[in-house]
Amino acid sequence: MAREKTRRLSGSRHFRQRLVLATLTSTPVTIVDIRADGTPGLRDHEVSLLRLLDKISDHSDVEINETGTKLRYKPGVIIGGKDLEHDCGLQRGIGYFLEPLILLGLFARSPISIRLKGITNDTKDPSVDTFRMVTLHMLKHFGVPLEGLELKIESRGAPPLGGGEVLLRVPNINSMLTAVNWVDEGMVKRIRGVTFSTRVSPQIENRILYAARGLFNKFIPDVHIFTDHRSGSSGGRSPGYGVSVVAETTTGCLISADATVSCTNVDEMSKESEKPELMSPEDLGEQVASMLLEEVAQGGVVDSTHQGLLFLLCALCPPDVSKVRVGQLTPYAIETLRNIRDFLDVKFIIKPDPNSSTVTLKCVGAGVKNLARKIS
Amino acid sequence: LSSDDSEEAIDSDDGAENTSKWKKSLLARTLSRRSASLMQLVYGKPSTELDNANNGEDSSDEEFFIPKGQKKQAKSELPSFDDIDAEDYSKFFKVELRDWSDGDLVESIRDRFVTGDWSKASLRGR
Repeated sequence: MAREKTRRLSGSRHFRQRLVLATLTSTPVTIVDIRADGTPGLRDHEVSLLRLLDKISDHSDVEINETGTKLRYKPGVIIGGKDLEHDCGLQRGIGYFLEPLILLGLFARSPISIRLKGITNDTKDPSVDTFRMVTLHMLKHFGVPLEGLELKIESRGAPPLGGGEVLLRVPNINSMLTAVNWVDEGMVKRIRGVTFSTRVSPQIENRILYAARGLFNKFIPDVHIFTDHRSGSSGGRSPGYGVSVVAETTTGCLISADATVSCTNVDEMSKESEKPELMSPEDLGEQVASMLLEEVAQGGVVDSTHQGLLFLLCALCPPDVSKVRVGQLTPYAIETLRNIRDFLDVKFIIKPDPNSSTVTLKCVGAGVKNLARKIS
Repeated sequence: LSSDDSEEAIDSDDGAENTSKWKKSLLARTLSRRSASLMQLVYGKPSTELDNANNGEDSSDEEFFIPKGQKKQAKSELPSFDDIDAEDYSKFFKVELRDWSDGDLVESIRDRFVTGDWSKASLRGR
């Protein structure tokens, strides 16, 4: 892949993935027609992501035109670093930023430790609990040591005002990831989880987990859901509650689901004249339990939320064959596969498995190396 | 045993061997087509891929500003059903959740748990 070639893309979709892949392959990108109709231009969270990229890399260059509909990004070297800080804003959760950060962190010059401020749990992005319990453990399969991989939730923040704070540490890899053969999903042996509540009665958490456990206990007795009530400053600025659950299988696969209830955004509230009714803790518990059971029913070694990340990691592997099994492909995962083809020139062989109604994917990795790392 | 024999006899009268043969090949073809269609769903038809490759070669730094006409052309190559400004969500939202307190539904995934039937579960991977 030649470094000088600029890739032209249009639209704001898959913004994060495009930037991550552009950075990892040192391909400059030009994105045009970003929300050409309606309210034009980049959104705050996208600009924030660009700032974050700038923070962890050297010699990167970003040009945005006046209306924000055209972006030119020339990636630099990912340097990483300690004691970084970033305000994630209030449009999207911290989960939005964690996904690209962890990928880039692996290929950085030095380990990243960064403090992220904003919304820890919301409805649009995977919660920080899911990230801590599931996403970080996925990397282990690709040969990333668990030491130095950490997410600490210092305080929580629910939308719309946030006020949460997490500390993320990502180690850098020596040179390459290791290819996986990860097709055995195993059987669910236990269910773990954590509920949270900020600025509401801690009793709400018991109501959530009682409802969730009611459904889970039909299948398995080993269900343990922790509670995490935050009060005072560690509870952020908005009231809210939610739960993240994980099903652990005999082969070490982690299947997750999470949901949060909080007051809606200020701008969304003004659209609807009345204050919308919030979901009760019981309904929330039941909903999350159903979501998790849906994921288990679907099969695969990861849940539908992590499909995209799984494929990305497979494609970044050394030129070995990786084989993984997932449930039904999500639209996001399909788009990820296309992005992988465009940037890394890796094409997956996708085969449906009619016996278990899952999909197996095979690919030969692009052999992306950590070129930023100092050779001592 | 006798009933089986008689059935076979009747079938063979109708040319059972031929039937099973073409059925088999049909099944194989359907299966291979399904896998191809999944590949096609993701990557599109082979011809569009070639177009993309050409695009990559042509584009360079100097093309940051290009005439409006060309821009439109590039746009028309994109699949029209995809929204280019779709929101960037990795979290998957299931449109509707089934009622998991329902007995039949519970039974359907019973063997996905260690409390279920292990021998049935081991068949699944094959």
